Amino acid sequence: MARLIRTEKEVEGRFEEVWIVVEEDPLEQWPAGPLEVVGRPTTRKSGPARVRGEARFTADLRLPGMLQAVVLRSPYAHARVKRIDLAPALALPGVRAGIGPGEAEGLVEEAGYSGAAVAAVAADTFRQARAAVDAIEIEWEELEIVLDADEAVRREQFTADPRHYERGDVDKALAAADVVVEATYRTQSVLHNSMETHQAICEWTGDVLNVYISTQFIWGVRDAVASTLEMPADNVRVVCEFMGGGFGSKNGPDEYTFVAAELAKRTGRPVRCALTRREESTAAGNRNATVQRLRAGARSDGTIVALDGEYTNAVGWSGWNASTEGPMKMLYDCENVRTTTYGAKINTPPMKAFRAPGFVEGTFGLECLVDELAAKLDMDPLELRRRNYAVTNEGTPISSKDLEECYRLAEPHWERLHEVHSRSELEAPPGYPATPGGRSGGAVWKRGVGMASQIWYGGGGPPSYAWVRVGSDGRASVITAMQDIGTGTRTAMAQIAAEELRLPLDRVDVVLGDSARGPYASISAGSSTLPSMGPAVRAAAADAREQIEDIAEQRGMPRDAPVHEVVDLLEDAQILGKGARGPNPTGMSVLTFGVHVVEVAVDVETGEVVVERVAAIHDVGRIVNPLGASSQVEGGVIQGIGHTLSEDRLLDPETGRVLTSTLDAYRMPTIADVPEIICEFVDKPDTHLTNLGSKGLGEPPIVPVSAAIANAIRDATGADIRELPISREEMLRALERAKEKERRGAPAAV
Amino acid sequence: MELLRPSDLAELDGGVFVHGGTEVVPLLQDGLLSAETLVDVRGVVPRGVEGNVVGAGTTLGELEVEPGIPDALREACRLAASPQLRNMSSLGGNLLQATRCWYWRLDYPCRLHGGDRCHARDGEHREHAIFANDFCASAHPSDIAAALVALGARLRTNRRELAVEELYRLPDEGDRRTTTLEDGELILEIELPEVEASVYLKAMDRKRWSFPQVGVAVAKIGGETRIALAGVAPIPWRIDTIEALDAATPLPRTEWKLPLARALVKRALASLG
Amino acid sequence: MSEIRLRVNGEEHILDAAVGTSLASVLRDRLGLTGTKIACAEGHCGACTVQVDGVPRLSCITLAHTVEGEVTTIEGLREHPLVDAFVRTDAVQCGFCTPGQVVSAAALVAAQPEPTREEIRHAMAGNICRCGTYPKIEEAILTWQD
Repeated sequence: MARLIRTEKEVEGRFEEVWIVVEEDPLEQWPAGPLEVVGRPTTRKSGPARVRGEARFTADLRLPGMLQAVVLRSPYAHARVKRIDLAPALALPGVRAGIGPGEAEGLVEEAGYSGAAVAAVAADTFRQARAAVDAIEIEWEELEIVLDADEAVRREQFTADPRHYERGDVDKALAAADVVVEATYRTQSVLHNSMETHQAICEWTGDVLNVYISTQFIWGVRDAVASTLEMPADNVRVVCEFMGGGFGSKNGPDEYTFVAAELAKRTGRPVRCALTRREESTAAGNRNATVQRLRAGARSDGTIVALDGEYTNAVGWSGWNASTEGPMKMLYDCENVRTTTYGAKINTPPMKAFRAPGFVEGTFGLECLVDELAAKLDMDPLELRRRNYAVTNEGTPISSKDLEECYRLAEPHWERLHEVHSRSELEAPPGYPATPGGRSGGAVWKRGVGMASQIWYGGGGPPSYAWVRVGSDGRASVITAMQDIGTGTRTAMAQIAAEELRLPLDRVDVVLGDSARGPYASISAGSSTLPSMGPAVRAAAADAREQIEDIAEQRGMPRDAPVHEVVDLLEDAQILGKGARGPNPTGMSVLTFGVHVVEVAVDVETGEVVVERVAAIHDVGRIVNPLGASSQVEGGVIQGIGHTLSEDRLLDPETGRVLTSTLDAYRMPTIADVPEIICEFVDKPDTHLTNLGSKGLGEPPIVPVSAAIANAIRDATGADIRELPISREEMLRALERAKEKERRGAPAAV
Repeated sequence: MELLRPSDLAELDGGVFVHGGTEVVPLLQDGLLSAETLVDVRGVVPRGVEGNVVGAGTTLGELEVEPGIPDALREACRLAASPQLRNMSSLGGNLLQATRCWYWRLDYPCRLHGGDRCHARDGEHREHAIFANDFCASAHPSDIAAALVALGARLRTNRRELAVEELYRLPDEGDRRTTTLEDGELILEIELPEVEASVYLKAMDRKRWSFPQVGVAVAKIGGETRIALAGVAPIPWRIDTIEALDAATPLPRTEWKLPLARALVKRALASLG
Repeated sequence: MSEIRLRVNGEEHILDAAVGTSLASVLRDRLGLTGTKIACAEGHCGACTVQVDGVPRLSCITLAHTVEGEVTTIEGLREHPLVDAFVRTDAVQCGFCTPGQVVSAAALVAAQPEPTREEIRHAMAGNICRCGTYPKIEEAILTWQD
């Protein structure tokens, strides 16, 4: 019986109310712990295809007659196109069509950042298209540029109205506090730099537009393209079978898709528009830089009585104002909290969601501040966090919260502090020569342990649908038009269906990746894939199982007879099950939690920071695939390390152009930079959340990394890290500041 | 573009020389270098180690595991670039690589490109030079060049013999080149002296595959101690003593390289006893 | 345009291409061997790694006309035990960098069948993985003979 209900859905910290049609009665959750298939380490179904290079990404597709499109991008951070003439470009060999500002969504006349798309040309080869773009005659009117976020705030240049939040009376509480800490934290702009760049191939077949795209949201692309091109949505087919990473940057169609669609229409041929790596570093989005001016007040017994934060997000020319203040509002039980968040509109490439947008940056500031508070209170940082444990989310009950269990699991890692401190300073980190007498002639390593807590979303939400098809061969196919962005989605869905159908895993296939072949699937972002699609798959499998059991009964067999015995008489007939993601628990917040304990070694003479060990402990409800889950955690930790130590998107201060547009200048971690990573899960189903009890895991592991590293550095050296990345320059500066503080007689932070 | 493959030095007649291609090919693809004729010199440049002489065509990957060369050279090769790049790049080519300065690499009209300003000096220069940075603030990226300068190596080209140091020059108003190599001149061999001991220490932004923030090569040769640095000046920078670092002229955002350089020079000297 | 002769995965190919064409683009666009990926096209990330006479090189900055020796791409390594090891240890996430990883790893274990962790890290440092699969890649290489 179909029911129409209204429910709340959260993605990347942004909430919306959605209407959904709920199809079936809710199933009982499975009991906790590993089952037949769910909860057991499972290798990826798509593993062999990916490892052998047989998986075809958008970058690998070749359509007959396909043209290559190249985009002309503004070299200026702020300029208007005064005059543009495509004729010289169109006259060049191999060039088939060209478009200018306004002729495709995303081609602008006023460029608000260096890299903004203005025009595009399609030609037989990439080289010809490139030469053609260079031949376009274009005159610019340069306009004033503002690159500094604080300056934009002063001028009240915002991407949206500033956000204010207050509970209690912060000023009164700060005045009455026994201890107050105040600090400004800065985080840098970080690039997603997925290995497969943003790209799409568009091909018209009659009225139908086929969009092959490297995306995290097949249905979002379909809807955005259809509405922009004013087409019936069913005439837009979006295909993405394998994609090479997104991390939040590939949630929509963007200009390259519309460019390809328009040029394909004009030429009658398929058109690929693929960003080069340099364009990827410039115009494909970023995690915006932030400035966080924070204060915290506490009583001497460790109760945090006030939290106050002024957050400036360097959003860029457009983009949204991420919730950098979220952790301050939500992580601790504090009666008096005030936050103001500015989204600075500046002439820099627009931000895009990047793995827990806002919360990564905000957790750095908050969790470093909390440790500075702990130092001033002379209190153990773990103890301080426990004392301020929040049982609800600002009064709203939480569907499940096992952060206390995470803290308990963290204890043995935290207790290593004594052993870490007692290690010889001459003992080099793994891979380094030993001293003395070795080749590094006397390097001295100061070691420390630090921690940070994590809070984030991860409940997913409706709608999402799946079909399950069972044939006479006793094999099942899970069919849904979703994408698999490399998180192991296919495999988790297969496990869920196999568990529900009581089939061995190798008899279950997953068909996905094509909006024309399957029902609506949620975005693969915001840690929402498993909690959104998982329950729909289970419901579909349950529907199929129910039908199979009915047939068994009719055949005089027990209802739980093996599937292949029941269906062997089907011949061409099939069992078709369908399922939908039901509503989220009403009146509850669905959140994920965790804690990281990190060990670092710092060479205080050279400013080198080595992360030696990370214990990552997470509460994300039921774990469907422990093997895949550990890969998510390791990946998030490693991305967090890059963010913390070496990644920095730099702009020329004069022109606003991106300087770190190549992968040798923008330095992401290599295999040599990986610490020992220990991954632990609470693995208790969220009994309020869907028929599965699983929350998302994509984002939680990156959230606490930078603060845990900074806190470990403070423990090792007494230096307060206030800026990311912790380059040698920042580390040496922080050490200098610590020395200065000691010289002036003020107690060091340790 | 045509490709020639001479098998004799006498056949050389203009064109752009390419060996491993790790510098030339990206520059060509990028439009920073243009060539009507590419000359693949793998057939005419010696490769391999014979006693104290290293063929300029020897790859960094081959030198990384070569026991018969001084430690500083081997270590500089081991820590340079990525494994794939080490497999491809020649010793001679590595000495001639251009700076990683982003303004240069992104084709800004800077001094090295014949223009009239150094964009780094007033702009983003945090990875740049602390010496000789008035005219051009770029940093020399070659670990191997610093090692060879400290080792007092000599080069033999198809035209002359010279000390490695003489391969390099600071760019100036009249001449923007950072090497003294003439048109058509090809590095053939590197000759190493007898070395008592040597070391190369490198500070990088990540554990591997990163250009030197500061690289320090120290060699003890016949009672003399020679020191050369990578990453601190537009060319490999020789200093006589650690005190010479006091004469550095860092830019506001390259000041951090000074304590780093001091620490590494101190350690390098200490490790040689 | 001029002629190139290439031996790839044991097969001989003769084709015409302009001087300046990269080996990567010949493999992908002319020979249909799309297992080798291009992620940066300028020699910085290792996704395009192929072996030439067993030695890992970057095909995106290798001029096709200068290749001497036998080219091995991921397609030529599909039966290598490392493939099973990568799948078994879950050493793959989005999969875009994975072929390059396998090519580099295969060269490593051919030279050193039982590499230490340090040797693995040193030999694989030129293959960037944005998904952060490194710990599992290390595990795959440590256990490839299992």
